[in-house]
Amino acid sequence: MIKSVKHSMPVNIVVANGLEAKALVKMLELERNHASAEFVEYSNPSKLRLLVSGIGKEAVAAAVTYLGEQQVSDDGEIRAWLNIGIAGHRDAPLGSAWLGNKITDQSSGASAYPPQLIEGFEVGSVVTVDEPENSYPLDSAYEMEASAFYAEATKYSTAELVQIFKVISDNLENPISGIDIRRVPSLIAAQAPQLLILIERMSAIAQQHNSNQRLPSYFSEVCSEIHLTVNQKLQFRRLCQRYKASGLEEELGRADLKASDARALIQQLAERIDRISEA
Amino acid sequence: MFSTIYIEEEVLEIQRVRNLLDRFSQVPQVICDRYGEVFNRKSQNFRLQKMAPALILAKKYGNKVLAAPSGYGYNDSKSYYFSHMLNCVYDCRYCFLQGMYSSANYVLFVNYEDFEKSITEEIEKNNGGGVYYSGYDCDSLALEPVSNFCSHFLPVFRRYPDAELEIRTKSTQVRCLLDIEVVSNCVIAMSFTTSEAAVQWEQKVPSIEKRLEALHKLQLAGWKVAIRFEPLILGAEGLAPYEALFAKIFSKLDGQKLHSVSSGLFRMPVDFHKRIVKLYPDEELFARPTQTTDGMIALKSTEENSHLIAIEKLLLNYVSSEQYYRCG
Repeated sequence: MIKSVKHSMPVNIVVANGLEAKALVKMLELERNHASAEFVEYSNPSKLRLLVSGIGKEAVAAAVTYLGEQQVSDDGEIRAWLNIGIAGHRDAPLGSAWLGNKITDQSSGASAYPPQLIEGFEVGSVVTVDEPENSYPLDSAYEMEASAFYAEATKYSTAELVQIFKVISDNLENPISGIDIRRVPSLIAAQAPQLLILIERMSAIAQQHNSNQRLPSYFSEVCSEIHLTVNQKLQFRRLCQRYKASGLEEELGRADLKASDARALIQQLAERIDRISEA
Repeated sequence: MFSTIYIEEEVLEIQRVRNLLDRFSQVPQVICDRYGEVFNRKSQNFRLQKMAPALILAKKYGNKVLAAPSGYGYNDSKSYYFSHMLNCVYDCRYCFLQGMYSSANYVLFVNYEDFEKSITEEIEKNNGGGVYYSGYDCDSLALEPVSNFCSHFLPVFRRYPDAELEIRTKSTQVRCLLDIEVVSNCVIAMSFTTSEAAVQWEQKVPSIEKRLEALHKLQLAGWKVAIRFEPLILGAEGLAPYEALFAKIFSKLDGQKLHSVSSGLFRMPVDFHKRIVKLYPDEELFARPTQTTDGMIALKSTEENSHLIAIEKLLLNYVSSEQYYRCG
């Protein structure tokens, strides 16, 4: 089970069905969140979110859009996105699993290549099909959501933080028609050690990225007090970043930098940091 | 060394590629149609990809030899550059490549024979002459054990003694040069910044001492060696770091034997700078005031010109004015 995590885990997990979610809910100590009427949703206090999308590309795209739109913020923070699910392969053993390093949409023929920053995992290709695949023509995991998940999730995050993890549930010897769906939770649960590492690492990368991008709290304080146009907000944001990068964060909010209107404030901040930096 | 190797299907059967794939058989290998499917996609992040870059083996189409930007070269000969590789194994915060590409993966164009054809055509158009720069979009030597760039291209230039090849690098991978007969029209141009700048902004780059050792060996072996002081970034310490750097370099190398020495200020296209600032909003270098002229951004300093002149004066204690040029 996941260690009692105190820190934030900016990770969204999307699965196609409730059986895939079942093992993850236990593994990640998630609780049902009744905010959505459209999707079954779970979360934990560390901000980890799990959404059950339903099967197929349209369903997963809608789920990603639903979650992504909720999380859009203007502070530059991003979240990692992980699609976990079962898949078929012609001869891979049941229960084997890999991260997708090439995701091909069978109907369009287009491929996407999730950048592989995280080492130590089995990797392989994934083919997304519109109907269940029984013959598995390529040496790939066949499933029904990954290509749409990747395309949609990369609209809300950077490609390095969008990953696909597939667990083999059927193959030529154990065809999809004979699959015992009650085994799905145990197939996912068996991947717990790998999944926990993967989620932790994706979370760590997202947190590092967000930390690098984080603005001084002064930014939001001022934005809530003074009206700034879009352009002024951009200028003000960059000035806050410059103060922080120069180790001058404490200079922000100094009494002599108080101004009642945005233009005067921006001018004061710019003059001050230019003077200090040039010296 | 690489997180993944992506291979364009078209180059899969090239012997150079087969050799590489055999050598890195433990690295996951993924076949793609064109390298653009993997490299420089809109939603990619250069800074994150630097954590675990991949190698992409591809075929270069279109122009392979391009006219060098004005002010790039050290003499009035027609000058060109070619890039058999995109991106660099080092991670220098001031580098324009961070703003040029959204991907930090290394693209190695493996159709060397096509590059060779384009280069020789250009040389022949210039009556056997011209200056050819390698290392504009990459570091030509740093990946030599993988690319075998020198093994292929130095013999090409040996056939054209009036054409000149400059290999721009920060690498100490000079074994490939020391093991062969000197190519008299090849210049190894090593870039240096001050120790302070190197510590602050250059990651994975060999130390100044190791680079000097490599250049010293090359100089002793008879290779033409050049020094590039780029980018010059002036800090609160003033000229002292440059005095120390020059003293260190010229106590190790014979200044009179240097092919050339150049300096260049920190400059890059405005759009590249904007993208880099988005990637590294926490970087002090990019928090400094800037000024823009003709689409190029530079650090704003009222004393820039006087500092540059002072640095040049220091430098001319070690090399002649004929050896020195100001880049850009």
